[in-house]
Amino acid sequence: MSIQHLTDDELETVLCGEPLPTVREAHLHDCLVCRRRRDAFLEVVEADLADDPDEATLAAIRERALARWQGRPVIHWWRWAAAAAAVVLLALVPVLRALRPAVPAINPEAVMAEVDRALAQDPLASLASEDVVNELMPVAETTGEGSNS
Amino acid sequence: MAMPAARPRPLDDMDEGELIARARRGDVAAAAELLSRHDRLVFRTCRRLLPAGEDVEAAAQETLLRALRSLPSYTGAGSFSGWLVAIAANYCRDRLRRRKLVPFQPLEAVHEDDPDPMAVIPAAGPSPERTSMARQAVALLHQELDRLPGRQREVFSLRFFVGLDLEGIATALGVDVGTVKTHLHRAVHRVRAAVEEAMP
Repeated sequence: MSIQHLTDDELETVLCGEPLPTVREAHLHDCLVCRRRRDAFLEVVEADLADDPDEATLAAIRERALARWQGRPVIHWWRWAAAAAAVVLLALVPVLRALRPAVPAINPEAVMAEVDRALAQDPLASLASEDVVNELMPVAETTGEGSNS
Repeated sequence: MAMPAARPRPLDDMDEGELIARARRGDVAAAAELLSRHDRLVFRTCRRLLPAGEDVEAAAQETLLRALRSLPSYTGAGSFSGWLVAIAANYCRDRLRRRKLVPFQPLEAVHEDDPDPMAVIPAAGPSPERTSMARQAVALLHQELDRLPGRQREVFSLRFFVGLDLEGIATALGVDVGTVKTHLHRAVHRVRAAVEEAMP
């Protein structure tokens, strides 16, 4: 048996579950000191495992998970459908824009000319009282140095 | 003459593959039996991957639920336990990321909601001095684990507390075996030094 004890690196290799060279494995097998170093570490880990939950706690966890599983919606199909609809709508936006008829631009002068023509043909237009006309279309007062009043 | 009806086989006689197939079809009893074979593993995984103060029972329950819901996607390529551990690890990682928890706890706060880890060391050990050292070592182990970077903590926990081999850890975490070895060596180096200090 080699009398050289395992180095820290070799011990950690063993703890990691990796093999050592055959000679060093043989040393570990025969050397009480090295085995104690390895086992001391494993002893602490084992001790930490001893506080696992009892069966009643595990059963309660299991039952709650099963209850939620049974009560689940079969599939969240409506979420997928909503997402698919949103994607389709977004994809259609440019198409719908292209298909929409162009709105003709309003020409104010043409509109006013049309109004003037309509008023000219309206026989009642000349009968409107001056007050009504002034109220609807007040005459701006002239001010300033050019005023004659 | 009427043939006697075949008695249904007890669930605890069924192998895992059959239970999985039944659970996929919505058989609640089969699902319960399946979970009962693995819930300790799931609890242990969540407990070791979450820092002190986290609700481990809720995490274990959520992991089991996710596993049940994901059963149709289980291909059977790897072990079922490895698949469960992977779900638990992903869930714990997501949970930590969402809450931005820092995986460090001072020694006094280590697992203070849990049963006293020192109490698990048998009182009737080889000697009171050795028992005392072992208790201190367990506390130091917790402290060092909480100080480890997340990935090292995961790898260490899956190796020593969950009992996976290197390939199993690699599969559960979705990394290659070389990465597992690197993280595991670093973690063992730090934890072993602390434990040996407490238990020379």
